[in-house]
Amino acid sequence: MVETGIPKLDEFLGGEIPEGKSLVYYIQPGVEGEVFGLQTVYTELKNGRTVVFVVSSSSPNSIKGQFAQFGWDIELFKNNFFLVDAYNSLIKAPSKEKYVVSNPENIEDLSKIIMDVMKELPKSTIVFGSLSTIIDLCGEKETIEAIKNWNKYAILYDHAMIYNFTAWPYSQETLDSIKNVLFNAVIAVGGIADRVIFGQYFWILKSDWIKESRKSMLKSDWTKKSRKSMLFRVSRPGGITLFIPKILITGAYSAGKSTFLHAISTQAVSVDRLGTTVALDRGHVEHKGFSAEIFGTSGQERFTPIIKLLSGESMGVFLILDSSNTKDFIQAKEMLQITKSYGLPYIVIANKQDLPGALTPEEIRKHLDLAKDIPVVPTVAKDKIGIFEAFEILLEKITGGM
Amino acid sequence: MVIIINCFNIQLPPTISVKCVTIDFNIVSTEECIVEVSLTTNADLIILGKKEKMNDYTFGIKELDNIVDGLTKGKNIMLIGPPMSGKEIVLYNIMYYGASKNDNGIITVTTREPATHILDWFKEHNLDLPMSRIGIIDCLTKTIGSNEVENDNIKITNSPVDLTGIGVKISQFLDEFYMKKNIRKNQLHINSLSTLLMYSNIQTVFRFLHVFTGRIKGAGALGIFVLESGMHDDKDINTLKQLFDGIIEIKSETDKNFIRVIGLSHKPTPWFHYEIEGANIKMVE
Repeated sequence: MVETGIPKLDEFLGGEIPEGKSLVYYIQPGVEGEVFGLQTVYTELKNGRTVVFVVSSSSPNSIKGQFAQFGWDIELFKNNFFLVDAYNSLIKAPSKEKYVVSNPENIEDLSKIIMDVMKELPKSTIVFGSLSTIIDLCGEKETIEAIKNWNKYAILYDHAMIYNFTAWPYSQETLDSIKNVLFNAVIAVGGIADRVIFGQYFWILKSDWIKESRKSMLKSDWTKKSRKSMLFRVSRPGGITLFIPKILITGAYSAGKSTFLHAISTQAVSVDRLGTTVALDRGHVEHKGFSAEIFGTSGQERFTPIIKLLSGESMGVFLILDSSNTKDFIQAKEMLQITKSYGLPYIVIANKQDLPGALTPEEIRKHLDLAKDIPVVPTVAKDKIGIFEAFEILLEKITGGM
Repeated sequence: MVIIINCFNIQLPPTISVKCVTIDFNIVSTEECIVEVSLTTNADLIILGKKEKMNDYTFGIKELDNIVDGLTKGKNIMLIGPPMSGKEIVLYNIMYYGASKNDNGIITVTTREPATHILDWFKEHNLDLPMSRIGIIDCLTKTIGSNEVENDNIKITNSPVDLTGIGVKISQFLDEFYMKKNIRKNQLHINSLSTLLMYSNIQTVFRFLHVFTGRIKGAGALGIFVLESGMHDDKDINTLKQLFDGIIEIKSETDKNFIRVIGLSHKPTPWFHYEIEGANIKMVE
């Protein structure tokens, strides 16, 4: 089974990349997209597959250092990891690798080595570190012809082909054929730019192996504004983590919102006075390939305008209830109305399950008259029980989990 | 009643014998200065102030800055000259004045000297750089096998071939300066295009520059791109020139160096004969 190792992406691609298929990361210049290819290399090595990495823009040694930056020790896999060195000859340096391209500016030299690799090695994942560099060195038309050939032989020998491609302003023809024709799947990796690039995202531009039924699900889900693309960050160590800029925690007074936020966060601050939150809590969560910024509001009614303010740009909401205190459910319901009116994905946290008289999640569902698709998750925030399950459930809702 | 708000501490003529109120405040924007004052009835208000001509960016070389009136936001400039003519010192002057006097962020891509050497140069000449505004992208260190590490000011790329990596690091510094540090005026210096052209062909470098000169325009920044003269085809230089708004040109004649600026004033500036004195560019009459 071939996987990209990018959180959520494999799921969106139907669980795996079939052997013989090709995938390109189509990267906007200036966006840290080449990490995608590196992460795929490491994931595949961990999966026990043979991996070939074609190095075109830096020496094999510095590539090894790059993996180390992310905390990925590729030395552990040296028996099934092969580098094609298409760089050192360029700067007239000697190479220690088994596969060396004698003239990286000649596409035929490169192609010959790639073909050798395909014939000699067992079913592998072949990752090109920088297709754009190959195009720069060998020419647009020449490289496109070569890619067609490589992808054809990949089908024959059951290799999976993964390419990093930075979309510099090549001819429209080249860009079009990379985007639409040459590869089975295209993952766009772009930047949210105003005057500078300040956020990074990816989304599936194309994938020809996802079943039609699945595709329609993807389409309907992904056309929704907030789900069109996944925001990501590059962490060192860690690699690509998906990023949710804002999750809101709300609920009635003393339901345990701050406790929940602090329990789930790797870092958090609160503005507290006399034991209760008066303005807002702020936390940062890192969990299973996701990172998220979490904002908690005060439960006191006079702070309701802040909830409205914060709801506007949130991507999801935790509504926290003190399961043992039904009289506060009315206020909780009002807060629910506010978030509902913004159409945000939300889940209900049935907190303080350890207290006597705590209602069960089902009882709470009835009390609040919640639809069946709204999850009610039992937790004891002070003991960190159930909170990460709750986080994962909300993420599923936000990312359009299937 | 006459109220005088003396915005810029202008010397008042002695004939004005009113009580003068001087208000100290910071000018946030150099483009325009808006003062809001509400007055009770029957009051006159005089605001004394002059709008000084402030350029967003300067060369730090007085003679050139006085003539050139167009060093506004979003300009891309080629700095071209022969070897050993002091191009680097000119560039370092632009860097120093940008960071220290104009409070700009400076992002330098270096392919010729390791980042630490550049910083040492400023230290040796007792020029204090505000380090929070300095970002250096070092394309050399890994190629020569040195073990320098990245820090807040220095990012290291794989090699001068790795234009993608260089581009990513430029974007990261721009994001950091513009969004996180709120530095709205930034300068990108690339020293030098000649090295990039040694490793990649002209089309590749052109595509890279096409993207980043565009970003400079979009971000209202200033771009300075150094090119060695006498090393490249005229055809290649002319191809690259299309990307630039102006040129700082340096020539050497019989051991004398001259500098002029083309394209940033209605006609090229005259050639100025200059000498390097320590860290300074000194014009010779």
